[in-house]
Amino acid sequence: MTHAKSELTVGEMLLRHGISRRSFIKFCTATASAMALPPWMGPAMAEQLRNSPRPSVVYLSFQECTGCLESLTRSFAPTIEDLIFNTISLDYNDTLMAASGEAAESARAKAMKDNFGKYVLVVDGSVPTGAGGAYCTAGGRSAEDTLREAAKGAAAVVCVGTCAAFGGIPFADPNPTSAWPVSAIVGDKPLINVSGCPPMPEVITGTLLQFVTTGRVPDLDEHQRPKVFFGNTIHDRCYRRPFYDQGKFAKTFDDEGARNGWCLYELGCKGPTTYNACATIKWNGGTSFPIQSGHGCIGCSEPGFWDKGSFYSPLSAPAWGKAGEVSPRQVGELAGAAVAAGAVLGLASAGVSRLRQRHGEQHTDNEPKGS
Amino acid sequence: MSDATGVLAADLAPEQAKTPEARVAGAMHGFAQEVGALSAFRLESCIHCGICADACHFYIATEDPQYTPIWKVEPFKQAYKREASPFAPLYRLLGLKRAVTADQLVQWQHLLFDSCNMCGRCSLICPMGIDVAALIEQARHAMFDAGLAPKELYQKAAHQRATGQPEASTEPYREQLLAIGTRFAVEIPLDKPEAEVMLCVPRTDIEHYPSAVAALARVMQHLGISRTFRSDGLVAENYGYYAGGKSWQRDISLRLIEQAILVKAKTLLVPECGHAYTALRWEAADLYGKPLPFTVRHVTEFLADELQAGRLKLAQAATGKTTFHDPCQLVRKGGVNDAPRALMKAMGIELNELKNHGGFSFCCGGGGGVLDIERAAPLRYRTMENKLREIDDTGAETFLTSCSDCRRTFDDAQAHFSWNKSTHSLLELVAKNLAGAGNRT
Amino acid sequence: MDLLSFARGPALKVALAVFCLGVGWRIAGFWLLRHRRNLNKPRASVLKFLSEGFVAVGSRSWPHREFIGRTGAGEALGYSYHLGLFAVVLLFTPHILFLGSLFGVTWPGLPSSLITMISVLTLTLFLAVLFRRVTNPVMRMLSNFDDYFSWFITALVMVTGLAATAHIGGPYQTLLGVHILSVDVLLIWFPFGKLMHAFYIFPSRAINGALLARKGAVS
Repeated sequence: MTHAKSELTVGEMLLRHGISRRSFIKFCTATASAMALPPWMGPAMAEQLRNSPRPSVVYLSFQECTGCLESLTRSFAPTIEDLIFNTISLDYNDTLMAASGEAAESARAKAMKDNFGKYVLVVDGSVPTGAGGAYCTAGGRSAEDTLREAAKGAAAVVCVGTCAAFGGIPFADPNPTSAWPVSAIVGDKPLINVSGCPPMPEVITGTLLQFVTTGRVPDLDEHQRPKVFFGNTIHDRCYRRPFYDQGKFAKTFDDEGARNGWCLYELGCKGPTTYNACATIKWNGGTSFPIQSGHGCIGCSEPGFWDKGSFYSPLSAPAWGKAGEVSPRQVGELAGAAVAAGAVLGLASAGVSRLRQRHGEQHTDNEPKGS
Repeated sequence: MSDATGVLAADLAPEQAKTPEARVAGAMHGFAQEVGALSAFRLESCIHCGICADACHFYIATEDPQYTPIWKVEPFKQAYKREASPFAPLYRLLGLKRAVTADQLVQWQHLLFDSCNMCGRCSLICPMGIDVAALIEQARHAMFDAGLAPKELYQKAAHQRATGQPEASTEPYREQLLAIGTRFAVEIPLDKPEAEVMLCVPRTDIEHYPSAVAALARVMQHLGISRTFRSDGLVAENYGYYAGGKSWQRDISLRLIEQAILVKAKTLLVPECGHAYTALRWEAADLYGKPLPFTVRHVTEFLADELQAGRLKLAQAATGKTTFHDPCQLVRKGGVNDAPRALMKAMGIELNELKNHGGFSFCCGGGGGVLDIERAAPLRYRTMENKLREIDDTGAETFLTSCSDCRRTFDDAQAHFSWNKSTHSLLELVAKNLAGAGNRT
Repeated sequence: MDLLSFARGPALKVALAVFCLGVGWRIAGFWLLRHRRNLNKPRASVLKFLSEGFVAVGSRSWPHREFIGRTGAGEALGYSYHLGLFAVVLLFTPHILFLGSLFGVTWPGLPSSLITMISVLTLTLFLAVLFRRVTNPVMRMLSNFDDYFSWFITALVMVTGLAATAHIGGPYQTLLGVHILSVDVLLIWFPFGKLMHAFYIFPSRAINGALLARKGAVS
């Protein structure tokens, strides 16, 4: 499906596919608009892309479930997404490429060598360091090794998915493979985290497109995620917000409140603390997103979301202990033990006071005592 | 001339001279004796709301914040927190609470004695339910131990403990009592070996209101009850209670207790004296160490019972519009609200209650020993203005009370303010209006 | 660990533990001091003694006619902000869920916008209370660090709570984290200051009422 190197420009590729220049400009304008770039950028991006050789992209997959790739390819407008695949030169992706084994690996090596310093390194999945890297190997080499090598010649590193961005599920307690996010391994290259479990297709493509056309990393938040997609919380854009404000909460998944589309705070929605574009762009070409379908946001684009307590425990609930879950029984045990300990200390201090009282009284006659 | 702590020698008895260190030690000893679970709980519960000030007539009259009732016990609170509270070891270790100083104690003498009648009104207003008056009583014990009880109270307590009389008199009270019997033509049973009711007398009555002494004797004679006075236990008042000397209070109460036991009395009758009632009815047993083998009753209680039982009949008393002052120790702190009113009703008295009456009555101003403290007089008069106005506002012609010290305080005010009312004793009124023969002959 | 996870995780656990330990220590520490038996004969029956004590728990909340002229306004101010606080703490759904997680029971809440209005009103009353404490000569004389710090930490909880619900002053999880952290500080401070009056008030009134009833006195 992909070429190690292409001499065709993007525009030429598009024409081959029957995509007019006009359509392509429309696509780029839509993408630019989604990224809140100025209107003139749309045609400029289109022009830039059309006349460039397709930039090389090396896509490495480590400890991942392939969900991110599924998301990326799950498009309702295949022509557009396909275009992306034709806009870039996806020189290595072990899931999608036809080749395997030695052929695949040498194709990668060649692409990296030919485009050294210019290719975009896309990574999904976390990187295990335990057992000398044995938990994830390809072609006899550990993920960590492969990553370090690939990063050397990358123009930028795009970490797709929460696993690559923050460690994700492998990183969750107890992290048996000693998994790390990409940013813990690669430090000296421009790095963009496109988190989400999985990330939204448009967020991935938009970010890639912007870098590829402008050569610049977009504005990033403190977790190195593009602010344009990760600048607001789900809560800030949620269509159920009026119900939150009115205090109308669904208590179970099929009660009257749930059926009336009330706020899912009580059912554990992490919308208020989750930054992503789900509430605006939505999934499946704008069809829906978890809250709209009646399930609370699980906070999948946030670091450590897997360890931040039950998905069904509301944000206002206490969250210490294993898997951040606290039961009333545990609280009772803690409280009981603490009160008992306190009472013992009280007994001690009362004892000290009474001893001192008695000592003070020894020097007097048989006087009546107070209460 | 003052000692190192600045206390004027004139304010204390010579025996009360102490070094500042000894004063602090005495106070701390006193505080230590007083602290227990209940007083600790009270001291813990204060939230510094200041509402107690609004119940205290010293504050109301002067608007001076230092008279806030709970502020009067501040050294006690401070000592408790530092020495005996649950976190006391931490406080001492980290130096978070200051120790009480001799200067502080001297400063507090005015607050705990001159400006507190121990009336208990503050205990009714505290939203936290703290019995502030009880804490003040306890703090006074510590002040006594620090040698800081006002000299008038100290000297009277010492004298009473030694002799049974708060002060020396030209003639011993015993003789004066007998003389009253002669003068008013009433029986004075004295030193009988056995009697059902043991009687005692307020020395204020012996000295200033002998007709009240006669009234007591007359009423009891009329009822034909087996009764006696005892020379060795004659005086109702307890200056140990005023001065804050707890063991002295006990010793003074013991005189009456021992005599009552000696005569196998069933009842110890408290005459018209408020704090004698508190000392005997509500404190004596604890000081004695076991329950008293007799009942303690105030004369109004006793007579109201007799009235109810039909053994006492009263004629109509023509007193016109009348009002009644409820002695704090009897009514608010003692719980004897109904008996005086039952007696007045039986005499057909037109009672116009004071705006603040019953358990909410304002103290006469002389309670707690304040009447005896000379230097406190100006302050006392200021607090009395409100009370006198309240009495006047009822439009009453006759003003009654049932405590000789209240009576003395009001009469003193009558002189000071040129007030137009004299204060009369309820017991005297009863004695004047006895109807029919008594049931027992 | 981010602020929110810290505040509602280990910080909350420590705060709850210190709270329980402190309360147990303080109450045991003074209640285990000497008790004195009352040897004087009571005037009232045991039943009256107990029932009056029970009644006194509530009756002290309304000042007697004789006092209300002087104390009514101040007491009304004090009680109303307490009512406001209880309403916000106990009837705001996220709080109900928090307490539900601790105790295993929940109950219905009020509309959140109504809670916001009550909060703002309560905060205003609370500021008035501080103003009163500072300007009233009696209260000013009585007040110490405990009074001011307890006020401050309670006010902080209220203000940060309002900021979090209104999403004013920063990203939501920071606001929520600061709010929960302020609650943690309040819990840790609680046993050491006047906030303990929450535990003391009812037993204290009951004991006072009962002891007065024992003498047949008004309470």
